[in-house]
Amino acid sequence: MEGVLAIWQRDITKFFRDKARLFGSFTMPVLFLLIFGGGMSGTMETMMAGNMGETAADFNYIEFVFPGIVSMTLLMTSVFSALSIIEDKDFGYMKEILVSPVSRISIAVGKMFGAASVATIQGVILFALIPFLGLSYDPLSVLQVIPFMFLLACALSGLGLLFASLIRSTQGFQMTVNILVMPMIFLSGALFPVNNLPGWMEAVVTVNPVTYGVHVMKNVMVDVENTPAEVAEAMGLNLSVFGQEVTVFGAVVFILIFAVLLALLATKSFSRANA
Amino acid sequence: MQAMIEVRGLTKTYKETDAVKGISFDVEEGEIFGFLGPNGAGKSTTINMICTMLKPTSGDILINGYDVSKEKNRVRESIGLIFQQNTLDTKLTANENLKFHCRFYNVPKNVREERIQEVLAIVDLTESRYSKVETFSGGMQRRLEIARGLLHYPRVLFLDEPTVGLDPQTRAHLWEYILKLKKEQGITMFLTTHYLDEAEISDRVAIMDKGQIIAVDRPSKLKDQLGGDIIELSTNDNDQALKEIHENVQDAEVTVHEGTIHIKVASSDAFISSFLKSLSIPVTKLNIRKPTLNDVFMAFTGRNIGEAGDI
Repeated sequence: MEGVLAIWQRDITKFFRDKARLFGSFTMPVLFLLIFGGGMSGTMETMMAGNMGETAADFNYIEFVFPGIVSMTLLMTSVFSALSIIEDKDFGYMKEILVSPVSRISIAVGKMFGAASVATIQGVILFALIPFLGLSYDPLSVLQVIPFMFLLACALSGLGLLFASLIRSTQGFQMTVNILVMPMIFLSGALFPVNNLPGWMEAVVTVNPVTYGVHVMKNVMVDVENTPAEVAEAMGLNLSVFGQEVTVFGAVVFILIFAVLLALLATKSFSRANA
Repeated sequence: MQAMIEVRGLTKTYKETDAVKGISFDVEEGEIFGFLGPNGAGKSTTINMICTMLKPTSGDILINGYDVSKEKNRVRESIGLIFQQNTLDTKLTANENLKFHCRFYNVPKNVREERIQEVLAIVDLTESRYSKVETFSGGMQRRLEIARGLLHYPRVLFLDEPTVGLDPQTRAHLWEYILKLKKEQGITMFLTTHYLDEAEISDRVAIMDKGQIIAVDRPSKLKDQLGGDIIELSTNDNDQALKEIHENVQDAEVTVHEGTIHIKVASSDAFISSFLKSLSIPVTKLNIRKPTLNDVFMAFTGRNIGEAGDI
């Protein structure tokens, strides 16, 4: 446990000490929100609420996209934070960790928690913008969603971890991760609805953990009971997989399993590593 | 007494090459054990296997009585490593580097402060404790690494080329620290180095070449095996001189290195005066010396350690 904490704490300490990274991590999500929330909301609303009739006025794209942007921020930060593993390999510090008696699973979990914490901090920073976007969420549901954000970030950083432990170069890692991250954002319902997609894309949506992340975030944050049915549909509050309605609980379990599985895979690759 | 490190029939085979071909040796408790050999001899592979970083193809390794393949964590607790490559986190302070190490190695909380002060004092870094490592000179970083390697009170300290890239003065200092450690803490040390003069401080050395250990003994013994003294001389006409030497001298080994004639004799005292009288050609340079480890190395491998490696 001490090992997990130490590895976690080192990554957090380094995050707060790196001024450029800190600045970037504050600005990037804000930029996304400006582009998607401010710039594109008019277009998106016309497109998405076109056939909703009189309830169309109740549909607000910013409300749709906000949980999506938060998820997207979690995804990008989590996965890219795993870069610290490649850095540690390059600068030799990974050797110091690997020759120590810290168990291999502690290394994987510590790294996972480190990346997930950084990502969650960034996601939470976005909440500060809620009043400026003309949105109103129940403060309690916003608080409720934070632990879930951490879980989602764990699953996603697990993905980064696995790649980082397999790939040797920084460039290779960035390339691979870019290829991975793009479809995960676009095929998750984070930025636009994912209805009526061709079959293979549907399959990506189904296995994509971000899909379930966005689903849970929307359902927890939005006041579902007081949302008209058509709006709820347009908001993507209802997600069904193989004809089955996905519950919040079901989605959480899916992400939990995903996180555990990746932690184990990363552990395995650390056990083999000869840094 | 049980050996601190026991290696038996250790082998490592990569796809087509045998990097380590079934080597066996012991390292006694409290000794400095020098591990020498040219690059590509299998030294690094051997060390990595001993340090739990690489799985042997076959063979057994016991450290401090623990089996390296079955009790990895026990072994890891028993050893400290100073790598050739820097493994400090330069973005952190010396203090943070040491604290994290304590946590990785489960050093009890109540002794951490005391140990950190102790190891910093050993390497004279007490005043730099709260500075970032990136502001340290190369020598200071090395010393900090040694300090860190000692924090968990290892029974064996592995020093893999600890002085590479350091200036001569810093190197000399570093050896002072290392000898101090051996004297005061009684730590067993496993040392590799390219600088054979540095290997002289070893209690025993092993010479490895082409995946095999070709000699293990005290440096003095190895040098004695070569014979007593080496006479180096240059003359105006080496060819003529060699001819005369072969005529006059029977039981001595004569070789030529870079324009200098080397003659190995049991004892130079009795030999030298009569030998010089027998030469008709004027001697331009004369040097009598005891054999060094480099001579030993050359005798065993047929080359200089510097020629063989790329460093």
